[in-house]
Amino acid sequence: MKDPYEVLGVARTAAPDDIRKAYRRLAKKLHPDLNPGDKQAEARFKDVTAANDLLSDPGKRQKFDSGEIDASGAERTRQQYYKDFAAAGAASPYENSSGFADFGDGEDLFAELFRRQAGQKRRTRGADLHYRLAISFLDAVNGATQRLTLPDGGSLDFSIPAGIQEGQTLRLRGKGAPTRGDGEPGDALVEISINPHRFFVREGDDIYIELPITLAEAVLGARVKTPTPTGAVMLTVPKGSNTGAIFRLKGKGVARRGGVGDELVKLKVMLPSEPNAELEAFLSTWSPGTNDDPRKDMVS
Amino acid sequence: MMITTTEFLARTRMDRATLEIWIEEEWLIPIETSPERAFTEADLARAQLIRDLMDDLGVNAEGVGVVLNLVDQVHGLRNALAEVVASARAP
Repeated sequence: MKDPYEVLGVARTAAPDDIRKAYRRLAKKLHPDLNPGDKQAEARFKDVTAANDLLSDPGKRQKFDSGEIDASGAERTRQQYYKDFAAAGAASPYENSSGFADFGDGEDLFAELFRRQAGQKRRTRGADLHYRLAISFLDAVNGATQRLTLPDGGSLDFSIPAGIQEGQTLRLRGKGAPTRGDGEPGDALVEISINPHRFFVREGDDIYIELPITLAEAVLGARVKTPTPTGAVMLTVPKGSNTGAIFRLKGKGVARRGGVGDELVKLKVMLPSEPNAELEAFLSTWSPGTNDDPRKDMVS
Repeated sequence: MMITTTEFLARTRMDRATLEIWIEEEWLIPIETSPERAFTEADLARAQLIRDLMDDLGVNAEGVGVVLNLVDQVHGLRNALAEVVASARAP
């Protein structure tokens, strides 16, 4: 076991605060979960943690300084790190492909790789053809089967994966131009654009919607039918809900590999569309009290 | 091997309210089974990572979400790269 002061790079006279700072600086650099591929960092982190355990405890530090104990007893056996599970290859709810989602679908990435290997034997491959296709908002969220009509009168059927994003390109294997030699045809590359929706707005994997409610529903509370991309659900609007109140419908957003978003419902209180004599009569006799001024923050 | 909420709390030495916040933030995603949630050993290790980030590395609550997202991306990339390497080595 190395000298703990040397491991942390502090003087023997270092104050507890300096030791804590030195430990924190090294831990940020060496934590095994922040260096999942670096065995050396993991070994060094173990030394650093052991040194910190010894020196951050005044009693232990004093015993070490006076030679009563050596540094070896301080080593903790740490349970496994998160990286040991994340690397296991098992399907994980946490795994996230957004670091390379723009390479195309995972399967396409590997298919491309295989083809390149095989393609070294082949000389001619047909050209890739590029298309653009606008799809509806809901097809982009839920996924759909689409037909693309080609300039030569033919058509292409293919499926849109749920959660596709604006500008994403789908590669349709072998649907490009045929080759003149004996190679494979090229691919069709379809760039997707998404038409806006009348009331849904998408941000990342979350869906935003502004939901109009009546004055009575806002004041008294109600169960209100709320559209989601997969069909309407009943939303409980609590008593006294104001314009701008936001409710989260968990899991009603965009479902993609690596997670599902939410739908965020923002309330908008609507007065009756026609002037209403009864309401006017009631309000002329009703007062919210002198403390209830909605513009009180604006008083200069 | 599934872990119950009670056992999870005992093994991570954390309180229920904190766990609820972590789940709400989606730092942890337990398996929703009836009648109770279940956790895995990976969730335990992830909870330990969150503790390390907050207690030892001085990351605040906002930062934890950012770090976890990047860690998850790194693992996504590592797993994809591992597949690429494996397929490149295959005959």
